[in-house]
Amino acid sequence: MKNGTRRVATLLLVLAFALPAAANEKAEPDPARSPYWEPIRQLIFGDRVINPDDRDVIRVYLNLRADDASTVPVAVKSQIDQTDKDYIKSIYLIVERNPSPTAGVFHFTPSSGRAQVETRLRFEDFSFVRAVAEMNDGKLYMSQRWVKAAGGCSAPNAKNFVPEALLGKMKLRFDDDTVSYGKPNLVQLMIRHPNESALAADFDAEKVPQFVRSVRVSFDGRPVMDAEVDFSISDNPNFRFYFNPQGKGELKIEVEDTHDRKFTHSVPIAEGAPLPGG
Amino acid sequence: MKRIEARAVMFAAMAVVIARAAFAVGPAQIGNFEVTEVAPGNYVHYGSFQERSPENLGDNANIGFIVGERCVLVVDAGGSLPVGLALKKAVRRVTPVPICHVVLTHVHPDHFFGAAAFLDDKPQFIAHRNYPRQLAARARPYLNYLRRDLGEFAEGSDIVQPTLLVDGRLELDLGGRSVLVQGWPPAHTDDDLTVFDRATRTFWLADLLFVDHTPVIDATITGFLAVMDDLRKIDAEHYVAGHGRSRAPWPAVLDPQRRYFTVILDETRAAIRNKKTIQQAIEEVGLSEVNNWAAFDTFHRRNVTTAYTELEWE
Repeated sequence: MKNGTRRVATLLLVLAFALPAAANEKAEPDPARSPYWEPIRQLIFGDRVINPDDRDVIRVYLNLRADDASTVPVAVKSQIDQTDKDYIKSIYLIVERNPSPTAGVFHFTPSSGRAQVETRLRFEDFSFVRAVAEMNDGKLYMSQRWVKAAGGCSAPNAKNFVPEALLGKMKLRFDDDTVSYGKPNLVQLMIRHPNESALAADFDAEKVPQFVRSVRVSFDGRPVMDAEVDFSISDNPNFRFYFNPQGKGELKIEVEDTHDRKFTHSVPIAEGAPLPGG
Repeated sequence: MKRIEARAVMFAAMAVVIARAAFAVGPAQIGNFEVTEVAPGNYVHYGSFQERSPENLGDNANIGFIVGERCVLVVDAGGSLPVGLALKKAVRRVTPVPICHVVLTHVHPDHFFGAAAFLDDKPQFIAHRNYPRQLAARARPYLNYLRRDLGEFAEGSDIVQPTLLVDGRLELDLGGRSVLVQGWPPAHTDDDLTVFDRATRTFWLADLLFVDHTPVIDATITGFLAVMDDLRKIDAEHYVAGHGRSRAPWPAVLDPQRRYFTVILDETRAAIRNKKTIQQAIEEVGLSEVNNWAAFDTFHRRNVTTAYTELEWE
């Protein structure tokens, strides 16, 4: 599975470089005719039908004009409740013109509370951002946005370097002061990591990529969100999502990067007890 | 071969500029490349506040040179090969003395893309210790954006690697004139250099000072404010900002930029404390400053983004 994912990533990468850069493209192109999207769609989804989202399952939110190519906030919001019968199993978040277009694949369960994730993306160029929801019955729905996100002295790389001592340090911030059982609670996960690729560094052959590969969030031993992520996610990766506690337990984060380094962080959760809010 | 191509492109660019001037369509930036002697031996060319375009050819930063008896030191090369070539011609109008040093004050494209114009002079290309690392990461996207903005006029604006790195302070003797090149901790970028001409006490701050143009934070807001405290202590008589010009005395000219950063710092911290998302902060922080700066729409929200991602770890 993991090797498969990596192979797909490599293939996509080759494709991304094979396509000519679109010069002076200021207007939004037709999302259905994008030459970038077809090969990506083929590789990830094969011949499966991607439905236009007339069911309104998922929406992707981004500003048309993103100001900082290194850090573009994005929100993928599910429009349906997660129930045992009908739920979003996975969300694919794709920046189609990035060297490695799949920014992340986020897996959810009926107990996730809500299949929703906010993060920050890097942009190498103007691009469509596509969010594809895969339902528990296998149906696919897509939402997309065109983003003009580069130029001037804005660059997709990190502005500062993460000191070795801070690498993998995590912080959790909660929107509420205390947790509520039986309803989705919003939490923000922050990870200290340069999340850099060697791709940006054509002029530095020595550079070895290091980025976060996977993020596993569980509560009381049960999965909340599992994500396979990539370097299209900004440095110091940041994720906002929901968890749905039914009682007290431990919210646990397990992170792994390309150097097989593992970082963990956890906080005890109990109704009425104060949450670390920052 | 390269040079012939570059020259052809420049002539083409000039032809367009001249044609436009003849029909009064756009500014003839390169055909009319002015330098101002702000202090004896210190010549500044003031860049445009307009966005980079085939009309201005990336002539957006303040650049210039200092003339000694033996050597000329160039401070930044401008945003494209045609701008670099125009600056070189301006040097030659003033003096036949060789160009020994080209200081690349930081890793931004409006300051370094003209550097290839000076390769023939075989100068030392001087940059901050952190510059190569940043250049490696940014060169490809910067070249892509340059081609998108300038089209064929981007041709020849090749990446030039620095040949001398500064870690701290570097004293240079231009012949009868000594100049201090100084590296700073992360502020505007993580690779900022300033140049100080001791003879006239002229302080070239590059993008550590913006006048009227929205200041840009591309490394750290707290670092930038800390560096500004140290800049203020420099005993300067004349100064050159990276963008914009002013008659305000030194160091009072630093005050508007400090006020702007302080507004962003305070309001971003408050937004984080009040659990606002980065997107909310980007939309709300610092709007009281909108009428005080040019290009606010292009750079302000980016500054808030940078500030937020730094301050959320406090």
